[in-house]
Amino acid sequence: MKKIIIITIGLISILFASSCDDELAQTNPNALTTEQFWKTESDAQAGVNAIYAMFYKDGLWARWIYFRLDLTSDEGYSVSPWTELADWTRFNYVNYNFWEGQVVTWRDTYKAIFRCNQVLANVPNIAFQNEDDKKKILAQAKFLRALHYYYAAVLWEDIPIVLTPSTPSDLPAQKNVTEVWAQVEKDLNEAFADLPPSWGADQTGRPDKGAAKAFLAKVYMQQRKWAEAKTALEYLITGPGARYSLVSNYRDNFTDVSENNSESVFEIQFGDNRLGGTDESQSAAVSSNRAQFFAPRSIGWSDGQARLWLVNAFKQEPNKAGTLDIRLRWTLYYPELLADFGDKTYGKNWEWGNEAWFRKGSRDYYRNNEDYYSQVNYRLIRYADILLRYAEVLNETGNTADAYQYVDMVRARVNLNTLAVAHPEIGNDHDKFLERLKMERALELAGESVRWEDLKRWGDLNSQASVDKIALRDPDFNNFVVGKHHRLPIPQVEDENNPNLNQHPEY
Amino acid sequence: MKTKFTQILNQRYYLLFFFSLLLQQTYAQQIAIKGRVSSAGGEAIPFANVLIKNTSTGAVTDFDGSYSITAKGTDILVFSSQGYKSKEVPVNNQTSINVSLTPDVLSLNEVVVVGYGSQSKKDLTGAISVVKADEIQKRQVTTVAEGLQGLVTGVKVRGGGRPGQEANIEIRGLKNLQGTNPLYVIDGLITTANRDFNPNDIESIQVLKDASAAAIYGSRAANGVIIITTKKGKKGPLQVEVSAKTSFTVMPKYDLMGTEEFAKYNNMAYDNAGLPRQNLNMSVNTDWQNEVFSTGMIKDYNASFSGGGDNSTFFISGNYFGNEGTVVGTDFDRISFRVNSSGSKGIFSIGENIALSNAKTDEMSGNPIIDVYRLTPTIPVYDAANPGGYGYGKQGVADTFGTNPLAIAEFANTTNENFRIRGNVWSELKFTSWLKYRFNFGYETSFDSYNFIRKIGNWSLNQPVEKSFINQNKGRSETMLYENTLTFKKQFGKHNITALVGQTFQKDNYNQISGTKRNLLVNPSTGQYFDVLDLGDSPEVAGFREEAALTSYLGRLEYNYADRYLFNAVFRRDGSSKFSDGNKWGNFPSVSLGWRVSNEPFFKADFIKDLKLRASYGELGSGAIRNYEYQGFINTNGAIILGNGQIMYPSATQVRLANSQLRWEKLKQTNIGMDLGILNNDLRFTADYFIARTEDVLYGFPILMTTGSDGGNPISNAATVENKGFELELAYSKKINDFSFNASLNFTKLNNKLVALGNGQNTHFQGNTITRDGGAVGMWYVLKTDGLFQTQEEIQNYKNSQGQVIMPNAQPGDIRFKDVNDDGQITNEDKDIVASPWPEFEMGLNAGASYKSFDFSMNWIGSHGATVYNGFRSVVDRFDDNSNYRTGIQPWTPENPNTDFPRITKGSTLNSRGDTDRFLESGDFIRLKYIGFGFNVPENVLKKAGISRARLSLSAQNILTITKYKGLDPEFSNGNIFERGVDVGAFPNLKTYSFGVEFGF
Repeated sequence: MKKIIIITIGLISILFASSCDDELAQTNPNALTTEQFWKTESDAQAGVNAIYAMFYKDGLWARWIYFRLDLTSDEGYSVSPWTELADWTRFNYVNYNFWEGQVVTWRDTYKAIFRCNQVLANVPNIAFQNEDDKKKILAQAKFLRALHYYYAAVLWEDIPIVLTPSTPSDLPAQKNVTEVWAQVEKDLNEAFADLPPSWGADQTGRPDKGAAKAFLAKVYMQQRKWAEAKTALEYLITGPGARYSLVSNYRDNFTDVSENNSESVFEIQFGDNRLGGTDESQSAAVSSNRAQFFAPRSIGWSDGQARLWLVNAFKQEPNKAGTLDIRLRWTLYYPELLADFGDKTYGKNWEWGNEAWFRKGSRDYYRNNEDYYSQVNYRLIRYADILLRYAEVLNETGNTADAYQYVDMVRARVNLNTLAVAHPEIGNDHDKFLERLKMERALELAGESVRWEDLKRWGDLNSQASVDKIALRDPDFNNFVVGKHHRLPIPQVEDENNPNLNQHPEY
Repeated sequence: MKTKFTQILNQRYYLLFFFSLLLQQTYAQQIAIKGRVSSAGGEAIPFANVLIKNTSTGAVTDFDGSYSITAKGTDILVFSSQGYKSKEVPVNNQTSINVSLTPDVLSLNEVVVVGYGSQSKKDLTGAISVVKADEIQKRQVTTVAEGLQGLVTGVKVRGGGRPGQEANIEIRGLKNLQGTNPLYVIDGLITTANRDFNPNDIESIQVLKDASAAAIYGSRAANGVIIITTKKGKKGPLQVEVSAKTSFTVMPKYDLMGTEEFAKYNNMAYDNAGLPRQNLNMSVNTDWQNEVFSTGMIKDYNASFSGGGDNSTFFISGNYFGNEGTVVGTDFDRISFRVNSSGSKGIFSIGENIALSNAKTDEMSGNPIIDVYRLTPTIPVYDAANPGGYGYGKQGVADTFGTNPLAIAEFANTTNENFRIRGNVWSELKFTSWLKYRFNFGYETSFDSYNFIRKIGNWSLNQPVEKSFINQNKGRSETMLYENTLTFKKQFGKHNITALVGQTFQKDNYNQISGTKRNLLVNPSTGQYFDVLDLGDSPEVAGFREEAALTSYLGRLEYNYADRYLFNAVFRRDGSSKFSDGNKWGNFPSVSLGWRVSNEPFFKADFIKDLKLRASYGELGSGAIRNYEYQGFINTNGAIILGNGQIMYPSATQVRLANSQLRWEKLKQTNIGMDLGILNNDLRFTADYFIARTEDVLYGFPILMTTGSDGGNPISNAATVENKGFELELAYSKKINDFSFNASLNFTKLNNKLVALGNGQNTHFQGNTITRDGGAVGMWYVLKTDGLFQTQEEIQNYKNSQGQVIMPNAQPGDIRFKDVNDDGQITNEDKDIVASPWPEFEMGLNAGASYKSFDFSMNWIGSHGATVYNGFRSVVDRFDDNSNYRTGIQPWTPENPNTDFPRITKGSTLNSRGDTDRFLESGDFIRLKYIGFGFNVPENVLKKAGISRARLSLSAQNILTITKYKGLDPEFSNGNIFERGVDVGAFPNLKTYSFGVEFGF
């Protein structure tokens, strides 16, 4: 019997030999670990590219951020049958965890910042053949981090600042908006130092020194730091970075046929190369959904549209030929579009009653519908905006007379008279000039996501009187509570789960 | 590794050697006795004990019932075996003693499979429930899980009637947060009893509920274990069993409005909002439920062939199961075969169980359960003006984003097909009567194919026109299991010892490739799309592979003294590849004790036939997380566009954060139980009380979005959960001449509590629920409503303690919300915990009776105390978004103020918000789960036809439900652990009417 036991033990041992503990050390055959990555120059390059990929996410520049920047402002509104979506464009914030354009925008903002922080933490440890290439990568990460903090500060104001790669248990502390602005300024100044003056034709879309200065000007202006803003803008207009010009055809700023042109200061690059979603999967799209969501009913989702006052504003002043301002044609779809300019709307006769829709970025010039895969780049900052900003800064710093020429450059492109001729009543009056400039910016930049920050900067959201005036053009502002709705509520789930973050007191 | 293990084995060798020395007591004046132990029918009884009375010497019969023993000529041999009455035979100098044992009808002597062995039910110290196979097989079920509903205390089942839908099982409450399904062990193979498995093959089911019972499965047993044994052949001529069952299934329906009534309220909602009315299409009156739902049909055909000789047995079965769904475009088909066989020679025996199955499901597209009420009756089913020709919402006419279920069923079609081989081969060496070595090799592989085709055509308002495309994937899973166990079983006088040691190793892998093509070709002669990946453009391919391994060592010691004192100890050590190096191994011990009071000499109570007290404590694990969770990875899927030529550049970054320090989740469970049999065991009572505490619960709680992590929350050891409860079961059975009757009542009460949340958090919100330290998981956390405002004056007088008007913008007829924090406004801060989604108790009642050839049985289930969220009502009662409405509602109007239904208005969410108690309802229900009648054709009729057995049956399921719940089905399931009480589009259980015939030859 002992023999049998011994034989059995031998037998069992042989069988057991198959089950060594090292079978327990399974490595993932599908992906690199974070420890394996961040070793080479191409890792660094792919890492910084991943930050750009955040432009294609639905919380940000693929879709929902336009609901905040364009539709919440007095340029746009929503009558979406999805009432909650529409409510969020008219200051009816009930559920602070509303996903579209609120929580997802917050989430994607910090996703982008996490990617910036990964680059900024890991790339310095990578050996580069050319140290300049490393500096350029770090500078791009800083620029993009500044960009995302900038828009987060415009929307929520007091938010947590995260500057290092995250760990799952992080509970970052909320900072006052002035600290956020300071961080944005710091990143942009550092980025400016190391960014190139321009990029090769196959790299357009990355920020250059001019883009950094343009964003610096935006940050300074939101803080009404006019002198600093003036210096920043001069880099683009008269300084070493003065290489921009307005394109002769206004529409060239809004189609895919004349992208990255001489007017473009910073442009988000979209493509239709991949037909997936806005997730992180293999087919993740690289496109904009804006036109699909803003196109008229039966053509797109029609969740956002333009206020009719814009049509009337354009019609206030004919151009030098005595015809309508051509910008009206390329800015809006509106009831008389066919009569005024001979354009159908996506090949259809007007069927939408007394309503207007945004035309910029739409693809009616070669198709009769929209989809989720628009390849039309989004000009986040173009030279016309810079010129009007410079005029504003000059006016604010007491140089109203000097400011005229920059407004006129923008007007001249569309064959309008000079401002002095068209509006002699302004003269050198700061307030009148600013009032007119507000209109000039609306006419030039309507539907380009600058209106909300403009209203905030001008202080038009700070008093009941000015809000009442806005409400005349946009009745949504009847819901606007001064001291509350100039910023969004913090997503409730973040407030609840982070002891270092508090909901805004007015919410 | 090898040396370490050899050491362990050597130690065991010494131990066994020591035992063998003890047993060398056979000396002079002895005679060798041989013989065979069989049942009354002549079948061999293997593993029967043969003991020399009043000694510790004994033997055990081998596979064909033979034994040999040496004893004195004057000794008395005691023959015993589980399930049989023991018998004493004096040797009287005989050298050959053949014995036939008579079965012991008492269920106490049932053999219960306990994992790597079996025990007599009377010797159990843990909480184990046994389910008879025919209780499951009499119902019309797709999976085993469905069949268990209401039959076992502490086991909660929630399923639904979608073809191929797999029910969820929860044993003794929500013990972790990962997934509640228990571990299934089918013939020793650790697997899942999913829809591929044919329930007709089941011989018996045991449910291991407490830690001591389940501990032998260690790290995977935290949710309990369901052990399924499939049928075996028996000695004798070929037995043929054929059965056919046909069932009709009927969908429950909502009470929805027709066009006329709908128009009245839709117009009212627009009028109240000051909006122009919709231009409703009054000439259309679509009953979407009629269009989408139809009577379903289930066909279940089964045939089996079994038999065996002295040394071998076989069992062969084949099954076809077809389910035509009650919802358009749904279907499930399964074909399965099984061959179980075994044979023995001398000390060696071998056997196998193998099942092949192919299951094909035409999956439901979209969710028609929701869309039938999101679509309004004014929308036509077909509309030639829309791409694809189906009707759906239209702005200004029928403003709704509801999906036309017929359209999506045609234009977006998903099918899944799985071919599975599942089986094991085992062999045993029985060195002596008391020592047995068993090797088991389990193998399971499944070939999965998924096919999704998107055809051109639209199904909802404003939908962008999408190109046609096809997405297919082929996956293969494979599990290999090696098990070596050594069992020692011996009786020394009144001491009964069973010891088991073993080692197991399991390896799982899965790989998949997938491909997509767009712009499919249409075959001009059939109008059908070519649905192969060869055709079309814009190809995309993908693929991945995953591997996991688990190594385990296990041991069990069972000790029984004089059938009075029972002791059971189990130890298992598991190592898993899912954890980081320092955290791979976990130890899972348990002990349990039993005391059969009724066997004590001092116990003199004739009416109590059986009384046993049990207590156990054990620790179990759970590592039910995905592979590689403890590592952070780089996602290289993204791409970016730069330059004027739309040039794509690669991107790579970490998207999802990970916790490197993941460790085993541990369940610590204490169980105290009692078994009582009185009135000659006709009345049996079982009670168990348990406390189950799960520590280091593995779960991916949402982390802050400011971390920038996406793609799933990183898993962490995040919480401690506690479940306390008791289970009672009372059963009575009686046979009087031709009449027999049985009834059993089971009762389960459970308290769930979240003891602590980790990660620096103390509260978790999800939807309308809150999970907070000290409370149950997923409590309702909503605004409280307080009736309706009747007048403007009431609104102005509704003030907080500071005199602030709380809801100044309200209008008469609007809901009044409670200002819980008294800050003068209604905000999220006013939400409060209002109710629990957990039932206070659940019950099951099973009763049956038979008289001569007729039998009858029924199962009732009941649940009391749960509050559930009626997702249906939260859509159709809101009115700010268009949908169809419930018939007979009475919204508030100045003319009709005496109602609890608020003023209806389109265009504002203020009155219709979903995060209030308005949509919470009592989830109480009592349901007749099953009722059936059977008729066994009398033998004298059959004999002439050469049939040994014939039975006709007629049954119905879910035909009677007593509830106040206003949704489709109070017995709904929601897979989201935190929102278990939310009923949004859950597929209801169906009313099922079945007719079955069975023949035996």
